[in-house]
Amino acid sequence: MSSKTIYDWVDERLGLSELAAFARHKTVPVHSQSFWYYWGGISLFLFLVQCFTGVLLLVYYRPGAEAYESVRQITFVMHFGWLIRSAHAWSASLMIFSILVHMFSVYFMKAYRKPREFGWLSGMALLGIASVFGFSGYLLPMDELSYFATKVGLQIPAAIPWIGAAIANMLRGGPDVSEFTVQRFFALHVVVLPAVFLPLLGFHLWLVQRHGNASPPSVEALPPAQRKSMPFFPNFVRKDLAMWLIALNLLALLASVFPWSLGKAYDALAPAPLGIHPEWYFMSPFEMLKLLGMIPWLQGEPGEIAGILLFTLGIALWVLIPFYDRNKESGQRARAAHYFGLLAVFALLSTTIIGYWTIR
Amino acid sequence: MNYPFWEIPYLGSGWVIGIIAIFHVMISQFAVGGGLYLPMAERKAMRMPEGPLRTAWLNQLASHSKFFLILTGVFGTISGVGIWFAIGLTHPEATSTLIHNFVFGWAMEWVFFIVELTTIAVYYYTWDRIDSELHLKVGWVYAGASAFTLIIINGILTFMLTPGDTWLAVAGTGQEASKFWYAFFNPTYWPSLFLRSCVCCALAGIWALITASRIDGDKQPELKTSLVKWSVKWLVPSFVATPFILIWYLWLVPASQQALLTLGIDTIGSGTFSIITRIALLIIVTSATIVGVAYFLAYRNPIDFNLSHAMAILLLALIATGAGEYAREMLRKPYVIGRWMYSNGVRVPYVARINQEGYLAHTNWVWNDSASSYSRGEAIFRGECGSCHTLAGYRPLRTLLAGRDRANIGSFITMLHEYKPDSPYRRFMPPMVGTKQDVDDLTGYLNAQVNPPQKPVLTAQK
Repeated sequence: MSSKTIYDWVDERLGLSELAAFARHKTVPVHSQSFWYYWGGISLFLFLVQCFTGVLLLVYYRPGAEAYESVRQITFVMHFGWLIRSAHAWSASLMIFSILVHMFSVYFMKAYRKPREFGWLSGMALLGIASVFGFSGYLLPMDELSYFATKVGLQIPAAIPWIGAAIANMLRGGPDVSEFTVQRFFALHVVVLPAVFLPLLGFHLWLVQRHGNASPPSVEALPPAQRKSMPFFPNFVRKDLAMWLIALNLLALLASVFPWSLGKAYDALAPAPLGIHPEWYFMSPFEMLKLLGMIPWLQGEPGEIAGILLFTLGIALWVLIPFYDRNKESGQRARAAHYFGLLAVFALLSTTIIGYWTIR
Repeated sequence: MNYPFWEIPYLGSGWVIGIIAIFHVMISQFAVGGGLYLPMAERKAMRMPEGPLRTAWLNQLASHSKFFLILTGVFGTISGVGIWFAIGLTHPEATSTLIHNFVFGWAMEWVFFIVELTTIAVYYYTWDRIDSELHLKVGWVYAGASAFTLIIINGILTFMLTPGDTWLAVAGTGQEASKFWYAFFNPTYWPSLFLRSCVCCALAGIWALITASRIDGDKQPELKTSLVKWSVKWLVPSFVATPFILIWYLWLVPASQQALLTLGIDTIGSGTFSIITRIALLIIVTSATIVGVAYFLAYRNPIDFNLSHAMAILLLALIATGAGEYAREMLRKPYVIGRWMYSNGVRVPYVARINQEGYLAHTNWVWNDSASSYSRGEAIFRGECGSCHTLAGYRPLRTLLAGRDRANIGSFITMLHEYKPDSPYRRFMPPMVGTKQDVDDLTGYLNAQVNPPQKPVLTAQK
């Protein structure tokens, strides 16, 4: 049986030709900002790495009282366990980083405008879930650092007025971080979050296919004859593959030269070691809360409430931007949105730097 | 020990050389490979039939040669002098040995440098001003002169890893320069020369992709396609031959250095493999990525190939080059000149004498009569540890010794001092040389860094 016969057989049943024709006709704009188009694909690739390495870790990881011991075995006893664990941890960080780059590039290219509002909203939801992935995964080794960092991290939801304490208790499975917290975080990390993330990711990708890549306003303003594009398949796919290769190379570099360490087993009765801080992507909100608490009339609970209100307002404004800066006639609003974006980048970067600078 | 110490906090003096050297190697190896690329490309263009493509190729080469002239002639030469400056400050003992042994080699190299710098300037400024055949000849002269700079410096670089038995037999007698050619054509000379030549060709292609990426593919599709594809081909020989040459190279490296690699390979499964093995794997992975990325981004999509893509490939090349140079440095441990001088500048045959007379007795730039054990310890730390370690930063002793008390730090230093044949540290660390008092002074100093004395509790007073 020739390969053409097999192809025809499958094609008749699955409609491969239609898919190939769709891919051939789909185009991607080419302009000086095209570089930013690859970050969504890089994020997707790193998510696939997360799935692959996560499943391998799942084979040996045991949540609950044995959590630390099982991670110790994965890191020091299982052959190449250290590599899989390091790749999982590093790709998590890289994925959040690339999603952030993707988000800001979409923001500054105004790619959230009509008809792409759902793309923006689903993307924001994916970022939110990805950060919860990061937070829940960080605790799973149950070493000293992850234990105390989770304790500190849970101060953020605990600061929500009235319901904060209840939320924090529910996440912890008690008044303090313990083996019950690991069980909960594990369930969240490997069942609940993927169950929400995967369909949402499918929806997001479907929207990208439906509406195509958005061009920045400066390119949209050009007459159609002056706009350039390239076929999605094979041209853009080849380049995407090259970017994936680069991302894989960077991941190999980080995972092998800077393998993820495992600290001492946690001891709830021991004092917190020096230099406890959350993961880098939580450093900014953590530091903002700390800075607000330093204002004399906002010390203690008022500062925490003010911080939470500020975050909520900021995130709400950010998420709802497509309904504020709707189209190219937005004028003053479009400029305001642009400055708001710059302010967000500045606030994130500066508070993260201050946070690392002042680790004690 | 006859020179003052140059202490760079956090970064460490080794990385000052490292950063300058990696930057320099990226450019100087381009100067050699690109020196061959230019006349080869010009010859190819001249063999094309008369027409717009031929003219476009020659115009593009003229533009590339301007980039080449500025990059190699300015940044290459400045960073080259920078290396001299940095090694002179960081490793004066080793630099002194090299100068005493290779002054003739450097004299030759400077002649070729002058030819190189002159011909590349002539080559660039005489496009369309002299006969095309003569212009091509200028290009070939440049290619020859730049190749000779590599041929010479390679002898000196490989000498530091494998000086060879003949030179070692006369080392320290004042007759070292009489064995110049033995030291020059040392055991790893040839594989290293082939290895570097391959890298030079690859870098010529990679840097050429930078200028080729700037061609407007819509206006000059034929030029961009042919030039990008031709430049990518410069990567091929290197990536086919490199694995074999690398095996040849490692086969000639002394057994003690090979042991560093095999130790890493043996323990790779459990993740405890040595840094040199990690870096070696990184070179292999990154080289493979460069081929893949160049194929997808450049060879298969020459028209859309843009500056960002070219920069991505250049960045990968930087990782591979940096990793390669780092691996070469690491492979030399615990020596800076194989079997002759330890990485902290102590000559191997001097160890017994220093152990008897004391480290500071041979350190002319330190006040030997310092009464303070702490000050003596600090001076010993700078001289014996500072070449590779910082207190807080790269290979930080505060972190590496954290959790140890004074007795424990003392026994660790004593172990380095005794330097027993079965000590695992012998593979990558020099002995701690000096008297028992020196061991005690260094212990006290390091203990004060690792376990700083508690500040007295202040009581509230009116």
